Amino acid sequence: MKTTWLGTALMGLIVGAMILVPFVWTGGEAANLVALILVWALFAIGFDLVFGTAGMLSFGHAALLGSGGYALAILTVAHGWGFMPALGMAALVGAAMAFGLSIFAVRVSGLFFSLLTLALAQMIYVLASTKLRGLTGGLDGIAGVPRPALFGIDLYDNDNFYVFIVVVFLIGLGLMALLRASPFGRSLRAVQANEVRAAQLGYNVQRLRQAAFVISGAYAGVAGSLLASLIFYISPQMLHWSVSGDVLIMTVLGGKGTLLGPVLGVAVFELLKEELSQYTQYWYGILGAVFIAATIFLPNGIAGLFAPRRDRDKGEGR
Amino acid sequence: MTGGLLRCENIHVAYGAFKALSGITHEFRPGHVYGLIGPNGAGKTTLMNALSGHVPVAQGRAFLDDRDVTGLSIHARTRAGLGRSFQITKIFAGMTVLENLEIAAFAHRYRVQPFWLPAGRFLKVREAAERVLEQVGLTRLAHRPAEYLSHGDQRALEVGLTLLGEPRVLLLDEPLAGVGNEQLERAIGLIQRIVTGRTVLLIEHNMDVVMRISHEILVMVQGQILATGSPEQVRNNPAVRSAYLGEEP
Ligand SMILES: Nc1ncnc2c1ncn2[C@@H]1O[C@H](COP(=O)(O)OP(=O)(O)OP(=O)(O)O)[C@@H](O)[C@H]1O
Ligand SMILES: [Mg+2]
Repeated sequence: MKTTWLGTALMGLIVGAMILVPFVWTGGEAANLVALILVWALFAIGFDLVFGTAGMLSFGHAALLGSGGYALAILTVAHGWGFMPALGMAALVGAAMAFGLSIFAVRVSGLFFSLLTLALAQMIYVLASTKLRGLTGGLDGIAGVPRPALFGIDLYDNDNFYVFIVVVFLIGLGLMALLRASPFGRSLRAVQANEVRAAQLGYNVQRLRQAAFVISGAYAGVAGSLLASLIFYISPQMLHWSVSGDVLIMTVLGGKGTLLGPVLGVAVFELLKEELSQYTQYWYGILGAVFIAATIFLPNGIAGLFAPRRDRDKGEGR
Repeated sequence: MTGGLLRCENIHVAYGAFKALSGITHEFRPGHVYGLIGPNGAGKTTLMNALSGHVPVAQGRAFLDDRDVTGLSIHARTRAGLGRSFQITKIFAGMTVLENLEIAAFAHRYRVQPFWLPAGRFLKVREAAERVLEQVGLTRLAHRPAEYLSHGDQRALEVGLTLLGEPRVLLLDEPLAGVGNEQLERAIGLIQRIVTGRTVLLIEHNMDVVMRISHEILVMVQGQILATGSPEQVRNNPAVRSAYLGEEP
């Protein structure tokens, strides 16, 4: 789906305003919440390159988020790496893990792709919880995941760490904007729109899908690292299939195939979760109902509100 | 344009137990236009699918300029100089006509798609797409989403997409199918212009058009080539008249 430039600008304003809130409302609480949103948004932006742009429904993205988080945690806690090199390595590990999954997964399409990515990711979840206990700490996870030490600034202060996350988020967002607008991004959309025609024009469809998956893995790796660092902790929960489900829900809610839609989707999801969980333990069920209502009334997600009417009426993300 | 010799040697294609092609052998010489005719279900589209890599061949080989392309993937054959349009239109919905053509141009120009610049910055690609846009007569619809085009215009876009790959060998599967009378002359003119200088296989049910454009006609029936010859010879061939044109000899 295409949003108008005005729509994109409006969404940008909303995201920008959200990013500014913790600068006004200091004290760490707002920073923590928006940081969480931005980290998940980074994950969702990467996920949507595969889902919204290339048209593959991955149900294994938890494995990519988790392996990045574990890479950072293990390298910093057990091997004494500095944060920044470990973050770079986590991006590579996420990408490598995506490459590994893609070897199997891009050969099949549609539902089989979703099921295969789910199965492979579950395998990694089980491995991390049991067989690889020595490395991952099993179900206990790894505590004491550090934060970066940069320019002598105390990043254990949530407001300071927030600035770091904003910078990483904006870099990730900018790179993705470029990727999506580039010939590479267009070729992914072409593969989604008509795979046979794309191949006939000379595109190596499998290779393109694989590239999208690997880039998505790098995004997930960075997001997983930041998440572990934000909460000082990682456990197999980050590898759980429900993580793959959450990022899917957030992306659909926000509007797949758009740059800022997934960001808004994450924001709404996290804010609702934050509010609802204060009142009821059944917050996830209510979120589910919200999601169902959204798919009926906002078939193109929140971003659909910012699209020209003609596209909105078509009722499908493009 | 040099080269463009396409050869089929004893090509067989089977769908399960059904033999869609049984032993197609023919040489398509550079720069010549071959009209492929035959009743529905004769295997014409299947032959194009086999030549362009969309279905595996059970037996036999295909050569493009003496290079064996039988085992190559679809995109590899395209890069070897093969172009293809489809009987059922295959365009990129959700993108404008110009974007459709640019996607074809990028595929032709780059093996690894550039990811470091916005697509709009590639002026050569834009120019190439605009040239074809004009060639197929869609300039005034450049910014219209492709799925909103009339059927006839979509057929023109379908042909345009194949042109950006500058194919030496062009497979056209019923490019005029469903084109309305008012657009027919324009469409025929387009086909006539683009076939010159290429090796072309043209499937077309409009007999006047195939006979007018083709150097040689191949008549297919039930997965085999029943007859070949000049349009004149085929028209007067009694076996063809009875098998295909449905006439008594
Ligand atoms: N994917 C497939 N699976 C099974 N059978 C198929 C498949 N594709 C084609 N066939 C069959 O193979 C035969 C040849 O089909 P093909 O499409 O090549 O015919 P055609 O000569 O192009 O006919 P038309 O003039 O109707 O386009 C038909 O009997 C068709 O039903
Ligand atoms: Mg056919």
